[in-house]
Parts: sequence; C-alpha cells; structure tokens
Amino acid sequence: MSAIHTSQLSFFATHAPFNRMDQPHLLWMLERMQLGYYAKGEVIITPEQGTVQRFLVIKQGMVQGEQNVADASDADSWLELSTGECFPLGALLAHRPVASIYRAVMDTFCYELPLAAFHELLGLSAPFRDFCTRRIANLLEHSKQIIQAQYTQSASEQQSLNSPLSSIIRRTPVTCSPQTTVRQVLERMHELRVGSMVAIDEDGRPLGILTLPDVLERIALPQIDLDQPVIGIMTAQPTSLPPQALAYEAALSMAKQGFRHILVVENEKLVGLVSEKDLFSLQRVGLGQIGQAIRYAINTEELQQAAADIRHMAHNMMAQGIAPEQLTQFISTFNDLLTVRVVELEYAASEINASPLANRLCWMALGSEGRLEQTLSTDQDNALIFTVPEGMTADGVRELLLPVARRINETLALCGFPLCKGEIMASNPKWCLSLEEWRSLFLNWITNGTPVALLHASIFFDFRSLHGALNLGEELRDWLSRAACDYPRFLHQMAENAMFNRPPLGMMRDFVLGKEHKLNLKVNGITPFVDAARIFSLAAGVNHTGTTGRLRQSATHLNVPVTEVDGWINAFLFIQMLRLRHHYEASANQAEVDTEMLDNLIDPDLLNELDRRILKEAFRQARKVQAKLAQIYQI
Amino acid sequence: MKNLFKSWFASAAKLTPEQSSRLAKWQHLQETDAVAEFEHARYVVVDVETTGLDLNNDTLISIGAVAVLNGKIALNDSFSIILQQSKISHRENILIHGISGSAQQEGVIPVDALLAFLDYLGKSPLVAFHVSFDETMIRRAMRQYLKFTFKHAWLDLAYLLPALWPERLRSHRSLDDWGRQFSINNDDRHNAVADALQTAQLLQVAISKAKQDQKTSCYDDLRGLERRFRCALEYC
Repeated sequence: MSAIHTSQLSFFATHAPFNRMDQPHLLWMLERMQLGYYAKGEVIITPEQGTVQRFLVIKQGMVQGEQNVADASDADSWLELSTGECFPLGALLAHRPVASIYRAVMDTFCYELPLAAFHELLGLSAPFRDFCTRRIANLLEHSKQIIQAQYTQSASEQQSLNSPLSSIIRRTPVTCSPQTTVRQVLERMHELRVGSMVAIDEDGRPLGILTLPDVLERIALPQIDLDQPVIGIMTAQPTSLPPQALAYEAALSMAKQGFRHILVVENEKLVGLVSEKDLFSLQRVGLGQIGQAIRYAINTEELQQAAADIRHMAHNMMAQGIAPEQLTQFISTFNDLLTVRVVELEYAASEINASPLANRLCWMALGSEGRLEQTLSTDQDNALIFTVPEGMTADGVRELLLPVARRINETLALCGFPLCKGEIMASNPKWCLSLEEWRSLFLNWITNGTPVALLHASIFFDFRSLHGALNLGEELRDWLSRAACDYPRFLHQMAENAMFNRPPLGMMRDFVLGKEHKLNLKVNGITPFVDAARIFSLAAGVNHTGTTGRLRQSATHLNVPVTEVDGWINAFLFIQMLRLRHHYEASANQAEVDTEMLDNLIDPDLLNELDRRILKEAFRQARKVQAKLAQIYQI
Repeated sequence: MKNLFKSWFASAAKLTPEQSSRLAKWQHLQETDAVAEFEHARYVVVDVETTGLDLNNDTLISIGAVAVLNGKIALNDSFSIILQQSKISHRENILIHGISGSAQQEGVIPVDALLAFLDYLGKSPLVAFHVSFDETMIRRAMRQYLKFTFKHAWLDLAYLLPALWPERLRSHRSLDDWGRQFSINNDDRHNAVADALQTAQLLQVAISKAKQDQKTSCYDDLRGLERRFRCALEYC
C-alpha cells in the first residue's frame, strides 16, 4: 500500500458516500486516484472534450457548473460544488459529455479517478453505487436515517409501547363510592384537576367511570339533578386490563372502543388508571384521539392542552421519520380542527348561530395555514367572508362580527398561535369583508399591482375555507382563478416580486450569510418555492393551495418534466424538515414553549456535513425554480 | 568524537553483491529529459525527517516522497520509509516528527532503505522546500552507507515560490506560510509524506502560475526562474 493513503483517509471519512464505503474499497479507489490542481478561472471539463474520462472529488476549493443555455433543464446546470462533492455523475453514468462547463471559481484541488476505475468501483461498492445512481434521493434518505436515529434515542429515554401498564401508572386513581352525588364528584374532580372518577365498592372493585367529556353529554346538556348518585350516569363495567398487559394493548382497546381511559385491575381490584394522555406521552398512537379531544373541548384550557398534544405528536412523528409533507399537513390539519373548535365555541358564546348571520360566514385560513404548511412556529393569518343579510349593510355586519373575531383571535393566541403582527386577522375590519368586497379588493390588487398589493396577494391568495359557509370560499377561489388569467401583467409583477428573495448561495463561498452568520430558512429557502408555486398555479388555473400540490399540478402546464418538479419538491420539503427540526429543538430546550421565540434562522456550521450539502442542493433547486419563473415571465 | 567513530564504524559495513548490483542498475538508468513538458514528466517531491537541524552531525530518520506525474499527484506513486537508527533521537526531536523510539529501532536497514528510495526515484528530477537541507541529509547518508556521491537535479520551492509571488517574499518564509497562503492544509505536519504531499501541491500551484505568467513549460524553465531569483537576491 502506498504511504500517501492514510493521510487522505481522514478526508474521505468525513464525506458522503465515502464515509459509508468499506475501507478496502476506499483504498482501492485511492490507489487509482490522482490529485489535480486548477487555478481560479481554469476550466476543468467542457462539453467539447467529449465523453467524460474522469470522476472528480473536490478536495478543496469550489467548482461551478456554468449553465448551458441551450439545455437549461439539464440537471447539471446551476451547480456550485465545494469540498467533498463529486462530479460529473450524470455524464459519467451515461457515458456522455458534460452539459455544462465546469470551472474552478477559486484555486481548487480535485481527486480524480479514471473512467474505467469509476465504473469498476460502481460494481465493487454498494454505498458508492447507491450514491451515484440515486444522488439527491440518497442524500435525503441518509439524512432521514440520521434524524431517525437521533429521535429514537430521545424517544427511547421514555418508555415504549412495549412496557407493561404497571410501569406507566402515574398516580393512584381518584375514586368515590357509587352513592356519592354527581355534585360532589364534579367538585372533587375540579378540585383535584383530574379528568376522570372511578366508583369502587368496599372491596376496591371498579363499578363505573365518569370522564370529563361525559360531563357535557350526560350532565350539562340534559341538565340532570346534580344530587343523584353518580353511579347512575357512569359508564358501567369500563374496560380493564391487568397490570402485566402492555401499553399497546391499552392503546388498541382505546382505539377500538373509543374510550380514553383503561382501568388497571389486579385480582378484581382497581390498582390504577391509564389515560390516553399517559400513552401519548409515550407514543404516537391515536391521531383520532387528539381529534376527539379537540372536537369535544369546551374551554380554552382543554384547547391549550390539545395544542400541546399536537406539538408533542409532531415530535413523535418526526421520530418516526415521517416525511415533512405529511407532517406539516398533519400539523395544519389539527390546527384546522383546533381553529374550527375555537370558532364554534365563540360563535356559540356570542349567539351568532341564532342571528341572521348564521350560515352566512366563512372563516378563512391564509398564508402557511392556507397552504397546509404550518410548522410549530406559525402566527395566525385569517380572515372572514360573509354575505349581507336582507336589510343589513356590510358595515352593520362587521360591527357585529368584529368583537367575536377578536375573541377568536385572542383564544387562538392563548393556544400558541401568536397574533399576527401585521394585523392580518379576521378581527381587523380590513379583512372582514363581504364576498363582493373581497372580489373588488382582489380585483384592485390584480389591476394595480402596487408593492403592497403584491405583498397582500402573496398572503391572501393562499386562502382556504375552514369553517362555516365553505361555498363562499370556493366561489371566491373560482373567481380569482379566472381573474388572474385575465390580467397577465399582474402575474408578471408577482414573478418580479418573487425574485427578491434569492436563495443564499454565493458565487465564491457556499452560503451567503447575514451579519448574524445565520441562514433564514423561511425567507430565503421556503419562500422562493412558495412564491413560484403560487404564480404557476394562478397561471395554470390550479385551485390547489399547497405548494407541493401546486407544483405537481402545474408541471404539465409549465412543460417541465415530472422528475424536475420532483427535484423542486424534494428540496422544498427538505428545507421544511430542517425548519421543523429547528423549531422542535428550540422548543425542547425550554420548559414553556413560547412560539414567538421560534425563528427560522439557522447557523449552517451547526448542521452536519450531509445536511449542509443537501441544503445547498436545495437552494440550488430554489434557484432553478426562480430561473424557470424568470424564463416564463422574461425577467 | 563519538559521532565520528560511529560513522566510521557504520561505514565499515560492505554492500552485499545484490545491493551493489541494485545501485549499479540505478546508476545506469537513462537520464531524464529535463525539458519534457509538465504534461509528460514525472517529478519526485521529497521531504526528510532527521534527528536535528545540524547538517554535519544529525542523521536521516525518514524519507517521504510523492510523485507528480504529468502534472497530477499520483496517489499510488508515493514513498515513505524509516531508516533504522543505532541511537534513538532525543525526546524533543521525537515530539517533532512523531517517529517513536521503537519505530526508529524497527526501521529498515539504512542501505536497503536508501536503495529502495533510489528504486522509487528512478532518474526523475527532485523537488523540495529548502533543498539544501534535504539534499545534504540524503547525500550524506548515501555517501556513508552506499559509498557514492548522490548528484541529482533539485528544484527549490523555497525560492521558486517567492520568484513567482515576489510581493510575498518578506511575509512568506516557511512551508506553513505558503501552505496557509493557498489553503493547502497539512493534517500531519512533520510526517515526511504529508509534508511532501503539501509541497507537491505547492508545486502544482507554482507550475500553474509559472505557465500562465512566464510561459514556462518544463522543469528546466522552473530551475531557471529559481536561479535568476537567487542571483537577484544576492545582489540586493
């Protein structure tokens, strides 16, 4: 073995895919490599050189793939490669010339492997082959595995669903005799802040259970006599399991029977109580249960608890490696439910439903909630559409609605959705409008295209109806699709506006960082995709409000190959995932989650090597999306 | 006195017939064409570690070398050897190059080590940073163990680099200075191969610059640049 190898191994040990290759294969590769030097500005490979003859790994420096205008959709264009990155994979695999000119943008050293050895190595090393053939997909997969490993670790610090119920029981159950009055039971539950009460006989055998949701259904609504014995309204013979039973059996029982409590009984005696919440803190079961909890919530405290559960669940889902698309949809879906419940409760409290306004209101989610892309750090963006009842004016309706909307906004804030700093909320008279008013407002934005109008359009045009007369939202959406197409100038202006948020990739260094040495994942990472998707979908008449859905459905209209759109979507989702992880980590480090404290700023130096590379690739994709936009609208 | 005696004693050993024929074979190799273009030539970049900096009394501990073949560093064409020491070097010295006492004792018999180096070198021109040190150490060892005077072409990057970047003459003196200038890292400074690799990378940078600025195309041109610069320095 040549002496030089050991000194180079440490380099390869820190870069994918070499860090996953077997040492003998790595040495085999090194044995056949050369180290080349390219001064700043020097061309490394060009299309004119014909079929590529070598595989290159950047030891230090930076290489840029200059876009070949004739073939703009080629995956090799828009490249900016730095230390540890390999090129030109596509051309090597296809035995073709490169599509771009590869040039050193600073003094660069590259390890170089001859073509024949490259192909032999593909046969020898599975990780290497995987990497070269699957590239970005592989990087994402690898990153996901690392994330899973990290989260499983923290999850395994908790108990698992395989632990026996005896290890989960947290406290002795609160019990009463069957003859205790309903009033006494409720007082006791309130005093001890428990969600359930079990009646037992003298021998400790459970006879029945009363839980908080029962209170609404069996006590409050029928307005029963509170002085009767509680046993009469309890659920008799509640489901029970022995202490040796495993947590997942309890979870299954709950799921099947729709109960939220399981009694733990040994020798017929009650020894404990396991609630759904106890299991939640362990595991990720029962999305349905959170949904139930929200639907039946009767006060802000319960909704706050549900909001906490949603966050907790999001963490568990991350641990499972659930894709960010599903994850953000999940968060948004539950936030929808929560919002709907808040709206319902406030409408009920203010007797809106009994007023002439019943069935004339549509609560809309805007911005990221409208796109079903909420993360854990989302302030509220919402608005109301209404139709004016006979004999009333729009201003009259507003006068009635605004105080109610204000309370809804405030309750949402208590549940962890900070009030919108820009006052884009239904309680703002500007955003509580009749259908006609919305139309003329949108038309005004579309025809004038002032900077403010464009900014508003980027928030409001992602609207989605959440509650009430959903048809109002649909009507507005259909109208908007038609109107946007009638005014191509507007889309052009939107496109121009969208070019302002450039992905933070520089020509010389890899990331361009602000004063704080941080990257803004939202503004510079997510926004280019979101903005482009909005414009594409408006132009294509796609009614979808989600970014990934918009991109997919607009692909044919744009005449962009599906694989390329997939590349955009993967990149978008990866950045979303980093945001989610960032928010999770930030909130895990503090006892009380203050969602206003969550930001989108990350220090790229704190990312692992792999994530940093994928993030760069993702930013490159963002550039490509913007390039497409620029091409279509000739900016 | 002790040193003198020891070197006389060591030199008393005779080369075996096989060792003699290896040496003869190397001496009869065809000389390399020093005007061959960079793209069609092999240079050997060398670095040595020694028991100290005294050119007269310190001895050679290890040789590391890297070949630059047709302008690129060939990773499988490198050389590293530790010469067996009769006396282990001082602790302070070991701390510099990291070759432990036992590694020094277990090294290759000096005659064989030097022959292996010649086999590896062939007649390729040599390159080093501060040639006078490496050249003296190697030549002394050759004379002592192989009984022959090692005459070879050497190029000194310590002069060539400031010749190409005269504005850095005052600020850049050591290998570390130039390494930093071009961000050529060396994770294992004072390991002979790692230093040779770093020097070889500097050679690549120098060749690129010389081609661009001075239209040089071969080893001899680089030596010419080096020589002119040294003369200029002496007149300053």
